[in-house]
Amino acid sequence: MSEERPDFRELVGDDLTPEEELELARVDGLLRSVPGPATEVPGSLTRAVERIGTTTPIWTRRRLVAAVALAATLAAFFFGVGRWVDRGGFDARATVQMTAGRTAPDATAKIELGRRDEATGNWKMRLVVDGLPHLTDNEYYVLWLAKDGQYAGACGTFNVDGRTTVDLTASYDLSEYDAWVISRAEPDAPWLLSAAT
Amino acid sequence: MATAESDSRLIERVGRGDREAFEQLYKRFARPVFAMALRQLGDNGRAEDAAQETFAAVWRSARSYKAERGTASAWLYAVARHAIIDRARQKRENAIEVPEEADTRAGPAERAEESWLTWRVHSALELLPERERVVIELAYWSGLSQTEIASYLDVPLGTVKTRTRTGLGRLAGLLEEVKA
Repeated sequence: MSEERPDFRELVGDDLTPEEELELARVDGLLRSVPGPATEVPGSLTRAVERIGTTTPIWTRRRLVAAVALAATLAAFFFGVGRWVDRGGFDARATVQMTAGRTAPDATAKIELGRRDEATGNWKMRLVVDGLPHLTDNEYYVLWLAKDGQYAGACGTFNVDGRTTVDLTASYDLSEYDAWVISRAEPDAPWLLSAAT
Repeated sequence: MATAESDSRLIERVGRGDREAFEQLYKRFARPVFAMALRQLGDNGRAEDAAQETFAAVWRSARSYKAERGTASAWLYAVARHAIIDRARQKRENAIEVPEEADTRAGPAERAEESWLTWRVHSALELLPERERVVIELAYWSGLSQTEIASYLDVPLGTVKTRTRTGLGRLAGLLEEVKA
């Protein structure tokens, strides 16, 4: 294998018109001035990209670990599971404070969990959210439960106007999920707020 | 660049949720995106994450692309740069240590210019027919002579020379307004 990069004349031959030679010399200069491209795109990247838009939401492993760890730490620190609260006429049995993600750093939200209806199994929930922009054009937010970083169950949709309180219900067994998540209701939307369940 | 319009059309189709267009866009830009991430992050895993985030962002925000504001290639470059910078910030302690001479040789503006030029060249290479792209990459970045390339690809030397020259001519058209 040669140590030198190719000789321009060897590449293009010597039967070019002056105009052609000028053009090819310009391209030759460009190619010599940049590093080589990646030899191969990893198959794992291609497989991950193939899933984009077909599942919700797509998270990189590192981001998922970081988000869940941060949410779990903050939730455990500020609002230990099982903390009982009773405020504002809503019979809250526990409160979960959500943590803002990078895409909505000024947002705040908390979920007050009420009693579980023994007959139906429905949880009453009150969501208090602030700092998210009002959405238009039939767009809305969704509060959902995640497991292993993936969408696992919707708890309701809502829009906001400043500080907003929304009453919701869900019938899931909350112990089966990892995290509460608020995002826009669209494929692959980033997590705006999250908390460990 | 001659293909800007078709890139634009692909992004517009992606904005309407067209998965086939998204796959085409990925095939066209996967290597330039991954190569840029790898150069700047210096780590395969993080480069892969950044590239994945780039295409997730493309899928999410293709609707926001406006052809009248700039070329599709520039828009994709900006999306990729953002994802790469984001990834670099997330784990700054593991960032690549840049040799001192690199700092004195080129400031941020010059490095950005180099990065943009590299992006343009790599994106254009992706538009060449495979047989032409391969011989050019082998000639410029593997150190193989034309004879060695012919032997490596098991094709006649004349074929290598024809493909190289044709590919360079095609690149001249694709990179018409680009100067080194």
